[in-house]
Amino acid sequence: MSAYGTTRHHGQQSASTTPASTTLFRRLTWEGTVPLEIRVDSKELPANSDRGLECYYIQAPRVSYLPLLMPEIRRFLMDVVFDEAAGKMLKEEEWWFESEEGTLLKWHWPIGLIYDNHTISASIRPSSQTSTSHHNLQVTPLKLILHLASPPTEKLLLSPSTESCKQAFMGQLKEADFIRWGNTKRMTGLRKPDQDGIWEGIKEHNFDDYWRVASKIVPTTAPARSSSPPPASSNPSMHTRPPSADPQSAPDRDGAYTVRSVPVRLYLPDGPVMQDVVSPTLEDGSAHTLAHYLSTHLPLLFPPAPYSGPELAYALIHGVLVPPDAEMAWLGACMAGADGWVSVCVGIAR
Amino acid sequence: MAQASGSPDDSGRLATLPWTPGDASETAAEALQALDTYKKKDPFKVVVRFKAVGNAPIMRQNFYKITASNRFQAVIQFLRKELSWKSGDPLFTYINLAFSPAPDDTVSNLYKSFATEGHLIVNYSTTAAWG
Repeated sequence: MSAYGTTRHHGQQSASTTPASTTLFRRLTWEGTVPLEIRVDSKELPANSDRGLECYYIQAPRVSYLPLLMPEIRRFLMDVVFDEAAGKMLKEEEWWFESEEGTLLKWHWPIGLIYDNHTISASIRPSSQTSTSHHNLQVTPLKLILHLASPPTEKLLLSPSTESCKQAFMGQLKEADFIRWGNTKRMTGLRKPDQDGIWEGIKEHNFDDYWRVASKIVPTTAPARSSSPPPASSNPSMHTRPPSADPQSAPDRDGAYTVRSVPVRLYLPDGPVMQDVVSPTLEDGSAHTLAHYLSTHLPLLFPPAPYSGPELAYALIHGVLVPPDAEMAWLGACMAGADGWVSVCVGIAR
Repeated sequence: MAQASGSPDDSGRLATLPWTPGDASETAAEALQALDTYKKKDPFKVVVRFKAVGNAPIMRQNFYKITASNRFQAVIQFLRKELSWKSGDPLFTYINLAFSPAPDDTVSNLYKSFATEGHLIVNYSTTAAWG
């Protein structure tokens, strides 16, 4: 507990001052998983492999990374698919993944983002089935092809090592910190055990270990000094207005609504990725909502009100259709990825 | 599920609304056209200011105009070329002395988020300055 005194120069934030709804959404975000089907490229299966068993299914945490799955995949391949001689030749530093459509998968993208990005990319491809529209958002395994050699390094840009993954992750946390406050004091103020600890939380997929450190850098939605819980509804759901939206509540210095910008990235099918300043409140003092963000950045897909035509597109955050009146600041505090970023994936409505 | 009401709040209806084939292709076509507009690469150039850190050599010229749609990786390659450093030589880059961007972050996005006084500051160093 003594670490708090040296690293924090603002209001204390502990579990008891974080509203239950915030913790709920953070936990829901943390526990989100996506199904992956991993298959070694059949051209690369060595002789004597047990074919027919080479698909590995895994329900992977959205907040994790492909390099962190590699030890598990390796164990499967060694136990089930490869014979001893071939197994000895496995070199994880040469592995790389691509989707069935030939999209190269990036080491530094969280798995949930890879999955949602695939969902929206699929939305622009003509559907071969005469299926009803709800198939758009059905959860089906993302099929990955695992290559064991000749990685396209000039496109991957990073190696699949755990250390590389950690560096990229910490870099994203720092960038998010800078977006919020114009400096990285909160990140650089973390002592080494905390810096290592937040990454361990990702590696071990432990919510408490991660948030023990993250709570020092991620803004909260409640005034730090509030002693009584805000008048939250008894049934927290995606459609509940967050308590801090109440204009009468005192803003705390480090709160979600006092950041200079919310760390948000906008993904379109097959690119580009858009990022710029997202202020928590608009010029008229009202909260910056997802609807406003989308119609400002993509007016051709999300025409500003009043608009009564058919919906052209949809927006996913962690695979969920978020209500348009969700506030960007709230999303930054409650539904950011573990790397600090709110990833909004936009797909085409069919 | 609620019927189509045209209300922007009713985003849940997308999951089950049965579009008739004619309607679907019209809105999809409009949406695909919109995507093409957004995919167009920004031809604009932004000013990048390189600042040496520690023992890194200072370049004769520090301000460069760089095409906004470039990835940061291209900026790193450009810097290596200007410094005449080989790909094996250690080179660490930071924005505003604060963080290292992902190599596929675009100059456009970094500029919009972090530019000060009309330019994007890229610090470069031979050693990792920030852990």
